[in-house]
Amino acid sequence: MPACPHLTIQLRDQAFEPLEALAAWQRQRQEPGGGGGGAAAEAQFIGRVRGRTAAGEPLQALELEHYPGMTEAQLDRLARGCADRHDIAALLVIHRVGRLLPGEAIVLVAVAADRRGPAQRCGQELLEALKHEAPFWKREWSGGRGHWVQGNTAL
Amino acid sequence: MVSADVPASQVSVDPPAAAGGSTIQVRVRLFASLRERAGWSEQLVTPQVTPATALSLWRQLGLARSERDGDLSPAAALPPGSGAAAAPVVAVDRADDGAAPELPAGVRVAINHGFASPGRPLADGDELAFLPPISGG
Repeated sequence: MPACPHLTIQLRDQAFEPLEALAAWQRQRQEPGGGGGGAAAEAQFIGRVRGRTAAGEPLQALELEHYPGMTEAQLDRLARGCADRHDIAALLVIHRVGRLLPGEAIVLVAVAADRRGPAQRCGQELLEALKHEAPFWKREWSGGRGHWVQGNTAL
Repeated sequence: MVSADVPASQVSVDPPAAAGGSTIQVRVRLFASLRERAGWSEQLVTPQVTPATALSLWRQLGLARSERDGDLSPAAALPPGSGAAAAPVVAVDRADDGAAPELPAGVRVAINHGFASPGRPLADGDELAFLPPISGG
C-alpha cells in the first residue's frame, strides 16, 4: 500500500455517467504515479436522484446548492480523514451541483484497497460524512414549487 | 481599543475609522433557506459589539427575526393593522432578538470555509457563513 493514498475529488455542474467516470479513473490509476491499478479490492457507490419527493410527490428536478470554496475544502478534508483512518490505495469522489433530473447520478464514491474491509468501510464512512459534513443543500421541485430538504434520508 | 459608547445606529452608517467603534469588517454569507428568508446572500458588516462573534452578528442582522418569520403562517405574516393577531407576534419577535442565547437548532457556522463555534471571535476580513441543515450525497 502506498503511504499516501491517491485522492481524486471532483465537483460537476453537468450530468455525468458514473460507469464512464469509473473507467476513466481506472485508466488514470494505471498511469505512473496514478495510485496503482493493482488493488485487489474495490468498493463503489452510485447515488441517483429519486423520482419522488420526500412527501411522495413526483419530482420534476432536484436543485443542489453548495458553498463554493468551502465545499471543495471540506470534501478534501473529509476524504483525507477517511483515507487516513483506513488502509486504502486510492479514492474517487464525484459530486454533482446544480439542477439534476430524476435518475441522474448525484454522487459517485469509489475506493481501492488491498482488502474488502477497508474499501467498504472507507466508502461508507465517506458517504455519511458527505451527507452531514459538506455544505450541500437540496431543493426538490414538484408541481412548479420548490421545497428545501431538511436533513437526510435514513441510512 | 474600542469604545463602547457609540450609538449602534452610527456604527453601521459611518466609516469604521470615523465611528470610533469596531474597526473590523466581516463578510457575511447566507445559503439556501436562510438566504431566501432573509432576502440577501452576502454583505460586508461592521460589527456593533466587541468581540464580534457569529452569534452577535446573527442578532445584529436581525436573522433571528427573519428565521421566525419564515415559519409564520401567511395569515400571521400580514402587515400590522391588517389583522388583530399580527401585532403581538411581531412585538414578541423584536423583544427576543437581542436575547437569543444561541442559534436555532440545525443552523451551523463556518468561518473562512471551515466549521466553527458560534462563539469564536471574528477577525477583520473573516468570511462568516450561516449554514441551514445540510443535505448532501
